[in-house]
Amino acid sequence: MNTHLLGFILIPIIMAFVVYAIGRKSKEIRNVMAVATTLAVFLASFYFFAGFFFGKMSPFELRLPDICGLKFHLMMDGFRALYITIASFMWLVCTAFAVEYNRIYHNRNRYYLFILWTLGATMGVFLSADLGTTFIFFEMASLTSYVWVAQQESKEALRAAETYLAVAVIGGLVMLMGLLMLNNITGTLEIDELRGVCEGLMGDKKLLAAGMCIFWGFAAKAGAFPVHIWLPKAHPVAPAPASALLSGMLTKVGVFGVLVVSSQIFFGDATWGKFVLIVGTITMFLGAFLAVLSTDMKRTLACSSVSQIGFILIGVSMQCLLGEENALAVRGTLLYMVNHSLFKLVLFLVAGVVFMNLHKLDFNIIKGFGRNKKILKYIYLCAALGIAGVPFFSGYVSKTLVHEAMVEYMNLSPASYNPGIKLVEWLFLISGGMTLAYMTKLYVVVFVEKNADEALQAKYDGMKPYMNMGNRILLAFSATIFVVLGVLPNWLFDRVADMGQSFMGLTEFEETVHYFSWENLQGSLTSIIFGVCIYFGVVRSVLRKKDGTYINPWPAKLDLEDSFYRPLLKVVAIILEIFSKIFDKLVDWTVILLRKSLLKESPIPFELTEGNALTYKVGSLLDGLKAMFTGEEEKYEGSFKHRLAMMYEKADEMSVIVTRSLSFGLIFFCLGLVFTIVYMLWFR
Amino acid sequence: MNSYVLLIAIFLPILGGILTGIIPFKGRTTRNIFVETVVILTSIVMWTIIINKPQGSFEVLKFTGDLVFAFKMDGLGMIFAGLISALWPLATLYSFEYMEKEEREGTFFMFYTITYGVTLGISLSGNLMTMYLFYEMLTIVTVPLVLHTLTREAILASRTYLYYSLGGAAFGFIGFIFVLVYGTSLDFVYGGVLDPGKIGDRGNVLLLIYVLAFLGFGVKAAICPFNKWLPQAGVAPTPVTALLHAVAVVKSGAFAIMRITYYSFGPDFLRGTWAQYTVMAIAIFTIIYGSARALKETHFKRRLAYSTIGNLSYILFGVTIMTPLGLFGALCHMVFHAVMKIASFFCAGAVISKTERTYVFELNGLGKHMPMTFGIFTISGLALMGVPGLCGFVSKWYLAEAAVSSENVLAYVGIGALLISAILTAVYTMTISVRAFFPGKDFDDSVNLGVKEAGVRMLLPLCIFAVCIIVFGVYSKPLTDLLLSVAMGGM
Repeated sequence: MNTHLLGFILIPIIMAFVVYAIGRKSKEIRNVMAVATTLAVFLASFYFFAGFFFGKMSPFELRLPDICGLKFHLMMDGFRALYITIASFMWLVCTAFAVEYNRIYHNRNRYYLFILWTLGATMGVFLSADLGTTFIFFEMASLTSYVWVAQQESKEALRAAETYLAVAVIGGLVMLMGLLMLNNITGTLEIDELRGVCEGLMGDKKLLAAGMCIFWGFAAKAGAFPVHIWLPKAHPVAPAPASALLSGMLTKVGVFGVLVVSSQIFFGDATWGKFVLIVGTITMFLGAFLAVLSTDMKRTLACSSVSQIGFILIGVSMQCLLGEENALAVRGTLLYMVNHSLFKLVLFLVAGVVFMNLHKLDFNIIKGFGRNKKILKYIYLCAALGIAGVPFFSGYVSKTLVHEAMVEYMNLSPASYNPGIKLVEWLFLISGGMTLAYMTKLYVVVFVEKNADEALQAKYDGMKPYMNMGNRILLAFSATIFVVLGVLPNWLFDRVADMGQSFMGLTEFEETVHYFSWENLQGSLTSIIFGVCIYFGVVRSVLRKKDGTYINPWPAKLDLEDSFYRPLLKVVAIILEIFSKIFDKLVDWTVILLRKSLLKESPIPFELTEGNALTYKVGSLLDGLKAMFTGEEEKYEGSFKHRLAMMYEKADEMSVIVTRSLSFGLIFFCLGLVFTIVYMLWFR
Repeated sequence: MNSYVLLIAIFLPILGGILTGIIPFKGRTTRNIFVETVVILTSIVMWTIIINKPQGSFEVLKFTGDLVFAFKMDGLGMIFAGLISALWPLATLYSFEYMEKEEREGTFFMFYTITYGVTLGISLSGNLMTMYLFYEMLTIVTVPLVLHTLTREAILASRTYLYYSLGGAAFGFIGFIFVLVYGTSLDFVYGGVLDPGKIGDRGNVLLLIYVLAFLGFGVKAAICPFNKWLPQAGVAPTPVTALLHAVAVVKSGAFAIMRITYYSFGPDFLRGTWAQYTVMAIAIFTIIYGSARALKETHFKRRLAYSTIGNLSYILFGVTIMTPLGLFGALCHMVFHAVMKIASFFCAGAVISKTERTYVFELNGLGKHMPMTFGIFTISGLALMGVPGLCGFVSKWYLAEAAVSSENVLAYVGIGALLISAILTAVYTMTISVRAFFPGKDFDDSVNLGVKEAGVRMLLPLCIFAVCIIVFGVYSKPLTDLLLSVAMGGM
């Protein structure tokens, strides 16, 4: 039993309560405790990372039957060790950063409680070896991170949090549906067993439906188009450390699932690969496009996240399409994930520094904030150039690998060649260019241009200290990683890729990639040229007015959430309401209808002063007719009602007299005799 | 153990309840101690019985031929009785604090305790006739509880309740007669008692009768469109709404349906027929209906009542799958829903008793003042939603698994309904939690000034339920194994 694996999940969760309890007494001790917890988790993760990095450890697992009604299965291998290390590193940096940053917020106890819970849940997702287990922690992470988005409790924050929760809940349930179907088809949810079972089922419609459900469940968290809606809303309103984690880590939780679906269930399935490719391309391009237009620092970064997820999805689709020859794609995807997590960590924290000092993120207000802040400039540049894929920064390595995989796909299978894939390649390069363009735009705004308001600019320049020493060191250290990784890709990155690739079924990779060969540099340079063109051709000339203010020409009405999803939900709610209202009243209506028709109460008979019902009715009818023709109403004495009643009474009296009289009896006797005689004469 | 002990469990609370009404107690405390003692004693007796499992049935009275008044404890009855006897002492404890504000406490506790015995009677009945008698009795003893406040609303609600329940029972009675005529006996036998020789070509008539009986007993389980009484009955004091209208009474309806489906008519006779599709469609429809209505309801307790309607139909959906796995899912949800719903109702009750606020929109910002109550409400809400790690997920998972493995087309639709309902549940429970904990930046906290957390007699049951929700959610293997063996027909 390797029960210590549970520690990764349980320690943060238990410590969350402790930290919360301490926080009610002392804020300082709470902060220290929170950082200490994340540090402990990080160190433990790093121990395993080092073990797998140097090849000293072999994978091991922990099975606990029947937790939550599912098979509970955790595992530790290279990929998982890598990802829990990155996750806990991000948590460590963000928690440490939050000590200074969160002074601007209330309810910090709550923040720490949920941030630690989510850490436990995220660890659970990355350690899980059974999709059922993944699902448990995935839901937990979704729900606990709700509080991050709602933390500020402003109107926008609550609205964004609502969207986030809705996407999380609906995504989770769709995934649950998929898991149920998958479990029914394959009989297993074990990640390692799925590939073997599913190979024989390729092309099965049911399997495809199950896979789709699971894919969209995870894709909603990853932020793929068209279920990315929560991302650009939630990131700007969450506290910066939380945005960093949302963007850097929680989207990766989604990507983790997408990876499992694409590399285990649909491995080598061309239809599936193309589907993911299309989703990825749209996501990549759209995100980058919106980021270029955006005039809000965090929104730019959020849109950038969407775009980067698109790049990763393209990598995922390539490893699916290339089948057995997917080595480059697998390694590219893996490194892209790692890179993006770290870039977004640093970038969002830089945004956090801006927000912490100014409480604003709008380009036209924060303009010029960083003009004389050298360290911040350095930190930002490292991350920005990295994410843009400039050579000698770490982003270049992963982008090149994914691009190479694409080229390989085009070369390898001329039969499957079509103009579509060429278009995707161009979009890939253009999006890379746009990445550079929006990162430059952000750089120019924050660090180069002067604010239009000179007094404000003077205030910005004189701002000291804008962040404390600890955070400076932390961020500068994180940023330097990108340069080190970028300059020495073969030394560190290749080994990281070796460590993680077995997760996607890749065992051996012998060749050495020459990252800085002319062929590989070409792609990056094309991107950079595009970027420069876009920056000067679009950003400077269209999006920036003469007086230096930036505008966002994107119409506010063109919002997928506000113009499609919310109205759709509203319509559904209204239909449901009408439907249920009808059934609410159904029994009542039935009862009323019955009472009016079949079960009608007979009217209370009112006493007639004279005559009977027949005479009364006929009399009234005749009276009415007569009144209609003559136009005048008869007096009571002359009315048919009265006259008929009188006649009836007379007849009644007569009949009484007749029936009681002797002669009446005699008549009947005689009649009887007559009949008898006639009968006897006639028939005999 | 001889099976006559079953009588003790049933008649102890009935007698105790009557005594509560008769004995002139000096003060509130003495009476409360008496009531709690009776209830706990009954529970102890019941659990001793469950552990010792007396075999055979105990015949009290023999009317004529097949009509026997008899008690017997089999698997299904054991589950229901165990559930009831675990919840009752806690609910009684909770109601002491809650009822302090209300009038006529004596009468309330009298009927409250009698109901305990009657419900146990339903679960331990040995045959259809005994169950039917207790079923009618349940209606009658619970009317005073609905009527308790004696307001116009309460009188109206109790009338509706009475009409619906008695009307439903009449349909149930038809089913009872047909089983008497076409079955081999009235006893509950796993797999049904219908005699194929007697049925002949009258299968369709019997199916019709089954649907009628389902609808009849379904009135207590609040199937659409016979659900109107349940939200209305929310005028009763919260302990009644929580225990009777979320567990005892409504689950008696579901329990009766399990009995007639699996133990009288028999799933083999019903599976694949139009009758199955009809009742399953009704259950699926009610799932959506209940959740949709809850979404639109702004009254706190009524919202939970509508949620109960939806959740009861989860149970019925499981029953109508008509496979052992379906019954297993239904039993799981019966047990887990009881815990979840009673917890959420008790939270609502705590809020009502401490703040006298009954509408959802009045709950803004209360989370800060009543953190335990709303924390537990959030847990139970998440559990109702079916978040993994909490008990609601386990039962939903088993229900959905049973539906998938039954290969019934309509059952797939049912899974869709479960998921849609889960989304709706998320909205109607989470909006409450969000209001309580995230009132917004500009919220003026002065309206909540002086609001205090509920007292310990309310919080203790709440905490126990919250722990149960989590523990069962994380590890429920022993319990689910037991339920599975019951659903397979074993003890």
